[in-house]
Amino acid sequence: MPPSLRRCAGLLALLLVGGCGGGADGPADGRTPVVFWHSFVSSTIPALDSLVARFEAEHPEIDLQPQYVPTGDALVQKLITAVRSNTAPDVSWIHADYLEDLVAADAIYPMAHFIEGPNGMSAEDLADIYPALLTYASYRGTLYSMPMEATNLGLLYNKDLFREVGLDPERPPQTWEELVSYSERLRLDRNGDGRYERIGFMVPVRPGTGPDGPWMVWQFQPFMMQAGTDHLVNEEQTRVLFADEPAVQALSLWERLFDLQNQRGFTNEYQSAFVSGQGAMMLDGPWSLPNYPRLLEGIDWGIAPLPAGPVRPATVVGGEYLAIFRQSAHPEAAWTFVKWVTQPEVQAFWSQRSGYLPIRASVTEVPEYRAYLETNPGLKAFVEQMAVARAQRPIEYSALEIQRELAIAIEQATVGTLDARTALARAAEASNAMLARADRTPPSPAPPETTAVTTARR
Amino acid sequence: MSAVTAHSARRAAGSAGNHLLLYTLALLTVAPFLWMVLTSFKDLQEIFSYPPTWWPERFTTDNYTDAFAAAPFGRFYFNSLFVAVVVTLGQLVTCSMAAYAFARMQFRGRDVLFYLFLGTMMVPAHVTMIPSFMILHWLGLIDSYGALILPGLASAFGTFLLRQFFLTLPKELEEAAFIDGCGRFRVLWQIILPLARPALATLAVFTFMGVFNDFLWALIVVNSQELYTVQLGLAIFRDRYSTEWGPLMAGSVAATLPILILFFVAQKHFIQGIALSGLKD
Amino acid sequence: MAGVLTGEGQRVSRAAADVVRAEAAAVPVPPAVRRAPGRREGLTAFLFLSPTLLVFVVFVVFPILFSFYLSFQQWNLFADDHAFVGLANYGAVFSDPEFWQVFWNTTVYTVATVPLNMVLALGVAVLLERRVRGKRLLRAAFFTPVVVSSVAAGVIWRWVFDPNLGLANVALTAVGLPAVDWTANAAAAMAALIIVGVWKTFGINMVLFAAGLSAIPSHYYEAAAIDGARSWSQFRHITLPLLAPTTLFVLVLSMIGSFQVFDVVFVLTRGGPLGATKVLVYYLYEHAFKFFDMGYASAVAYLLFAVLFVLTLVQVRAFRNRGAVAV
Repeated sequence: MPPSLRRCAGLLALLLVGGCGGGADGPADGRTPVVFWHSFVSSTIPALDSLVARFEAEHPEIDLQPQYVPTGDALVQKLITAVRSNTAPDVSWIHADYLEDLVAADAIYPMAHFIEGPNGMSAEDLADIYPALLTYASYRGTLYSMPMEATNLGLLYNKDLFREVGLDPERPPQTWEELVSYSERLRLDRNGDGRYERIGFMVPVRPGTGPDGPWMVWQFQPFMMQAGTDHLVNEEQTRVLFADEPAVQALSLWERLFDLQNQRGFTNEYQSAFVSGQGAMMLDGPWSLPNYPRLLEGIDWGIAPLPAGPVRPATVVGGEYLAIFRQSAHPEAAWTFVKWVTQPEVQAFWSQRSGYLPIRASVTEVPEYRAYLETNPGLKAFVEQMAVARAQRPIEYSALEIQRELAIAIEQATVGTLDARTALARAAEASNAMLARADRTPPSPAPPETTAVTTARR
Repeated sequence: MSAVTAHSARRAAGSAGNHLLLYTLALLTVAPFLWMVLTSFKDLQEIFSYPPTWWPERFTTDNYTDAFAAAPFGRFYFNSLFVAVVVTLGQLVTCSMAAYAFARMQFRGRDVLFYLFLGTMMVPAHVTMIPSFMILHWLGLIDSYGALILPGLASAFGTFLLRQFFLTLPKELEEAAFIDGCGRFRVLWQIILPLARPALATLAVFTFMGVFNDFLWALIVVNSQELYTVQLGLAIFRDRYSTEWGPLMAGSVAATLPILILFFVAQKHFIQGIALSGLKD
Repeated sequence: MAGVLTGEGQRVSRAAADVVRAEAAAVPVPPAVRRAPGRREGLTAFLFLSPTLLVFVVFVVFPILFSFYLSFQQWNLFADDHAFVGLANYGAVFSDPEFWQVFWNTTVYTVATVPLNMVLALGVAVLLERRVRGKRLLRAAFFTPVVVSSVAAGVIWRWVFDPNLGLANVALTAVGLPAVDWTANAAAAMAALIIVGVWKTFGINMVLFAAGLSAIPSHYYEAAAIDGARSWSQFRHITLPLLAPTTLFVLVLSMIGSFQVFDVVFVLTRGGPLGATKVLVYYLYEHAFKFFDMGYASAVAYLLFAVLFVLTLVQVRAFRNRGAVAV
């Protein structure tokens, strides 16, 4: 072997040793490892670290290992491949949209398995969780996951700009009509080229990011709810409801606002539009609040409830849900974490650090949390809005495809040239065809325990 | 005499025009990247300011400290470099052996096999991803360096590139060695490879670049954060709600620099390598 | 790393060249001693090929065959139930109007990108052949986009093409042109995609052309100079014909690359607005990894493969008929 080759091999060996040394950390200390997949962004990581530290202090027998997974498509791709290769985590974030597939693959436990187990959860505790969250956490009435935190959509607005155009900064828009008239006041075209350097309410349609399906549909939801319908699909799951009058009204509002401010020529980045003073009102959730003192430095901003629609004030609820995987070697330890995180004190702790909303109403009675809310009017506005937060009925067949149809319709009515009614009618026709084709045989034979806990409680 | 001066004057004018054109084009080409580098040194307000600024008005390195504080980027860097280096070395070995066989040896089915190799380049990678994943799973290699490295250890493109290069080398060099009793392997190792240095550098740059910049495959086969590559790490600055532009730009700049340096260092051999391979059959 | 590698190689190569020169001087090689490929050559060849073959069979051949099998199956990735459906997937692809729109988009992208890319790459390569100051720097500049990862490129260009915060519109309005709705206008979004596509890849082709140019023996040009040929006619009658093999290689590679474009779309437009920039591989990706329909996605992949195969054959034949290249 020539010396150069030997040197090369030596280097390779060195790299291999160096490379493999740090990779594995086995549970040599006798603690039970629980791998937890999540997609928290970097700004939430410090909050998560403190949550993990607190959990491990209270449960020293468990080694909670949070692992970051890129969000969106990536999370579901990783879940699929992990389930297929028997490398699923113990517990993971999931989205309601994936429940159909996860349940069909029998990949996750129904929550009743734990709730009714030795380390169970009382009916009172369960009832304290916002019902809207449990709706999303369930599939066909069976609870398959637990909410870790709640969110909803409110209105982030710039009080300085309100003052500039003579609007009362403490009186954000209360109705759809005010949303439109405020936007007309706030829009500004300095050079008269028909493109606005500043707009009022930014319609969350972002053609530059593609039909961002479920996300855009979720933001459209509150407007449908304000117009009188909570659901995208009827109870029998045979017909979509988004071609009905309330949805048409909601999309017409978006269409009107979009055209009024010529958003075709406006940025796709809602935070940058707000920070640069180019957008005065945005749909926003509580998740960015911890960033805002720094990001919005120098801006007098506020959070308001969404304006009420023709029928009622409403917003949509969201959240992150934890599911426990059947492949887990320590499902009980995973459940210990899931149950722990739903406790009022933990929820108060987590909400203060992460900016997310608590999953149960009673948290606002924790004195420390109540005091915290008084010093954080932004978070308080979101928490109060939970009173009018609603959930949609999960679509049980072809959920992703149907939401995509609706997303396309929203884009066609705003960016495109179709009117709201026609676009929605087309989307509904395609979606109804999918529902008609759906395979309605029940999924894999459900274990007997799964029927016990349901969220149908009206 | 006058004809010569007119000629050289025309040449000087032509040369000035050349330079102007080339440098303008070059500037346009790097401007977007340069702008990202500059933006990574701006604070958040300035990044979002309108109209956009070119030079940072308030120079800050906060984005870099934020980026490196948000995730163990040192570890991610190590992973990216380690995987890229091992795959690159591996490909240099496998591709040069295969290329030598295709270029110099007579065996049945050689040409058919070679064209089949080339044909595999036309199948989109996305469609082979799931079966490849399943194989790694059967081998018990998901979530390990092996999953990142093994599938990259051979390359149709690399074999093709080196074969073309070997074909241009005069056979006489080898024949002298055969008379001395050298075997095929020693000939490849001691005579062909040293001469193939430029082609090897070319392959090294392409491979290193491809592996270092890969996102989708790494995303699918790796779960533990200890094994994350830089490109995966960058995703942490982005979720469906919002993007943390400052650290994302800083991280992207930091992720690009190693390869830029590699190219700058290797470019002489790199271009020569492609030149000598002749690109013809 | 490459520095180490090439530095090492340099020394070895000089030594090897010395050895060869010495041996060649000592023993003139009679042509008759040429090593006839013997029986054992097949075995040696197999040994040389085996590492590559092993990796290929496992990670290329099997996956390709398996996905071919999948294209005749109804297969949901998550649920793991599958059934033979014959040509149903192919039929479904052909009857999906979106497929045809996506096919059209991909064709538009390819037809625009490939020539732009090649003209720019060849132009720059030719100019760099002349006496130019700072050649290394210029080359690195033109190659920078190739090196930038697609994740980073997406970050950059999303900002550049932002309709009201981006550099593109600032530049347009600065020279008195109207601003463009880069993200909402179908044609503009496609134009943006093409610009980024060309930007990202022309550096590779420039290097390939540079290599091809440097392989043209200079005595051709000297002869032409004596004949008084001007630079354009030199280019037309000497450079282009002699460059034909490189041009074919670049053409085939760029075409395959453009038809398989994915990263740029994924990071820049996600197929928007209204599907105007959705391309074949993105469509395939959506069906495979968003709707988990692997059978359908595999059928799309094989249709794409068929198109590329035919196009490559046509191009090779066209060049061969003009006598430009022997493949």
